[in-house]
Amino acid sequence: MTLRTLAFRNIKQNFKKYIMYFFSLSFSIFTAYSFLALMQNEYVIMAFTYDARYRSMLTGFGIIIMVFVMFFLLSSNNSFIKARKKEISTYALFGMTNGKIGKLLFLETMIVGSIALVIGIGVGIFFSKLIAMILLDISLASFTGSIAFTMDPKAIYITVILFIFIFCVMGLSGLRVINKFELVDLFKADKVSEGKSEGSMILLILSLVSIGAGYYLAASGDPQMVVISSIPVLVLVIFGTYLFFWGGLPKVLNLIKRNKNNYYKGANLIATSAFSHRMKSIGSVMATIAVLSAVATTAIATGFTLYKNIENNTYDIIGYDMYFYGGQEELLDKVYAAFEKHDTKMTESYTTQRYKSVPKIETVTIGNAEYISSERDYFRVYSQSDYNKLVALSKSHLKPVHINHGEAMYTYPYMHQDIESAMLGQLLTFPDKEVSITAALRSGIVSFGALHTLILSDDDFEALLKKGHISEVDEKGSAYDQVTVLNYENPLKSGELAHELTQILSGNTGSFRVAYNHYIEALETFGLVCFIGFFMSAVFMLMTASLLYFKQIMAAEEERHQYRMLRKIGIAGQLEKKIIVKRLLPVFLIPLLVGIVHSMFAMKAADTIVFSNMIPVDNSYFTVLAFSAVMYGAYGIVYGIFYFITKAQYARIVR
Amino acid sequence: MQILKVENISKTYGTKKSAKEYIALRRISFEVKEGEFIGVMGASGSGKTTLLNILGSIDKPTTGRYIMDGKEIATLNKNQLAEHRIKNIGFIFQDYNLLETMTLKENIILPLALKGYEANVMEDKLFQIAQDLGITEVLGKYPYEVSGGEQQRAAACRALITNPKMILADEPTGNLDSKSGKDLLDLLTFINKEYKATILLVTHDVFAASYCQKIMFIRDGEIYSELYAGDSKKKFFDAIIEVMSVLGGEGK
Repeated sequence: MTLRTLAFRNIKQNFKKYIMYFFSLSFSIFTAYSFLALMQNEYVIMAFTYDARYRSMLTGFGIIIMVFVMFFLLSSNNSFIKARKKEISTYALFGMTNGKIGKLLFLETMIVGSIALVIGIGVGIFFSKLIAMILLDISLASFTGSIAFTMDPKAIYITVILFIFIFCVMGLSGLRVINKFELVDLFKADKVSEGKSEGSMILLILSLVSIGAGYYLAASGDPQMVVISSIPVLVLVIFGTYLFFWGGLPKVLNLIKRNKNNYYKGANLIATSAFSHRMKSIGSVMATIAVLSAVATTAIATGFTLYKNIENNTYDIIGYDMYFYGGQEELLDKVYAAFEKHDTKMTESYTTQRYKSVPKIETVTIGNAEYISSERDYFRVYSQSDYNKLVALSKSHLKPVHINHGEAMYTYPYMHQDIESAMLGQLLTFPDKEVSITAALRSGIVSFGALHTLILSDDDFEALLKKGHISEVDEKGSAYDQVTVLNYENPLKSGELAHELTQILSGNTGSFRVAYNHYIEALETFGLVCFIGFFMSAVFMLMTASLLYFKQIMAAEEERHQYRMLRKIGIAGQLEKKIIVKRLLPVFLIPLLVGIVHSMFAMKAADTIVFSNMIPVDNSYFTVLAFSAVMYGAYGIVYGIFYFITKAQYARIVR
Repeated sequence: MQILKVENISKTYGTKKSAKEYIALRRISFEVKEGEFIGVMGASGSGKTTLLNILGSIDKPTTGRYIMDGKEIATLNKNQLAEHRIKNIGFIFQDYNLLETMTLKENIILPLALKGYEANVMEDKLFQIAQDLGITEVLGKYPYEVSGGEQQRAAACRALITNPKMILADEPTGNLDSKSGKDLLDLLTFINKEYKATILLVTHDVFAASYCQKIMFIRDGEIYSELYAGDSKKKFFDAIIEVMSVLGGEGK
């Protein structure tokens, strides 16, 4: 019998064990091919790779995926070899050298690997069109081209080379695993402890303190603080997570064991002791999975939240489908003509004056910088009814306001948390009138070029306008440009209209904004981030889950005789199922929960840095959490599916 | 008082059609009374392990009736069987069958834990038995940390802790050296006397069998003969050897 026939025979006989292994190999190959093919797709090249930012983003993403695929394959390969320990030790017992066994395993890997290559690439080709379409669809609103069903020789070629290299590394690492086997283990394999870990209180506390400190820093409300401390947060949380799984969780299990009334309940006793017995061998895997789950859920939740808020964000910045100031006389007709030409109905439009005023105000400094002073700055001024009219037209979240006599609302376009408190209560002194600022609001949609904006009550406004303290003309006596805001049908889908409007307005007016342009730009950046988030999460999710599957199947092989024994003592089907559930559920649930909690704090940090500016509600974190919860749910469902597959397989093995 | 009764049980492996049919037990009948210490002897392949499996309700007879605790065991379903096992039968196996993920203490109380006893009740019971069986010192250790003799004593504790109607011991001395083996047999005798436990010991070791009060010899799936212990252990021992040599077993 040659090694080759033996290899074939082994695959045939271990077919059931090989199925998942085969699945994960094929999936890795599918991932790699899909990514490479995507990079070769002409539309993707056209849309993204010309831009250095996008290109480096995609390349970085590719490298992360490849490193992870390699880590995943090596570790599932090693688990797989360990699950076959008995078989391998038997070869050694009958005098096969380790080198030969390694060669045998390498042959098996190559055989299974080549089939997986064919299938993985095949599936990759089959889905390449779909994946390219998803990417282009979520990142390019106006994408209309049709993507051909392509088979990319270059991607195939790179995938094959890459994986043959990975198979070789797997062969070498497998050899290392075999070398570590002690032949004597063959005879006492089931009796030897895999290394139970008692855990330690110090490690438990240290891990919780470390994670807690990371959380505390991440949850800080100051964006700059969060940015500065991002690296320490990562280090603290990752370090804490590993400590927790190495020393903390075993201690927790130990503490659970101390509660005898609970621990000494049949199923708990068996499941808890079996789980704590495996802690040492599975601790690192669980920690890695928790960290990866955190990364994946954060990526996917960020992407999803960003993506879902691009439209809102566009209107919170621009306010209307379009606005421009200056040159109305000639431009409005052209604009109307453009609407007609593109057969688009204009739904609303409003033209108003841009008033200005320079009341006396105490100089306000924020930090060390002068923020506002009467000498340098002026205010854009609106009456309450004019402001409310604009707000009603805008598609932002702003609500109409009511301003009392003698009071004013101040709005500013920057994001800075100290402005509001600095400006509240400031006194604006007009020659015959004093008005105090009683409300402040961050929004740029009524500024139209100004840095500071005031909204006054209608009678105050009228009075000041009459006396000339609010003026519509500058020092030289010429009137300020009026501003026109416009809304029209299907604003975010009318690419050609937006293009034409841009051409009409560009250079002929004081300034203008078209929501579509802003939207598309945001979509391109965020769509790509979002796609990468989805892709990476899908890969991490499936691979971490199948890693857990392999670990548990390996454990099942070793725990089999225990169940046989338990059945002799008198454990019936129902109780056995309960024991298996209690034995397996924590393995999936704990890393998932730890990952999600990590991710919730990561989202808190992301909220502080990004989303609080994007999502204009009082507590944007809750909105972010709501969006994230959708993705956490999806993640949970995939883990749930894997859990049930594992449970069924585990039950089958120990039966 | 009679605790179990076996009537005409037979066990056949393989189907009749396949012609590979193998008869492990043929129409065996006997009774066991409370407090008896019975040995079952026979050569390898004589059917003694099959008999033990059926008595332990791990296996079912092909035909015949097996009544224990007033119940016809063959009519019980899987869950009832498991309950029956945990309530009425204590097992001691050749390879101890302790769970290596648990300490000896946890292993011993496992059957009680499965029945849902309170923690302090279990511990009271445990310490009593562990003291009698002399393993109090090693209760907190894991099976792979203690000797084979101690493991087997822990297994005996586990079998005893539920106060089963009957203890089934399958070659319990098979993996022990002669000193540990003798200790264990003394222990079984002690259990039989002090706890009034009914013990059924399957063995092919003549020395082990000589501790029993009664021995059933099995050959080719049938009860070949029975022997009762007399006053002299030496005479009983010789008698067993004589029967075994006729049976073609491997007496010492």
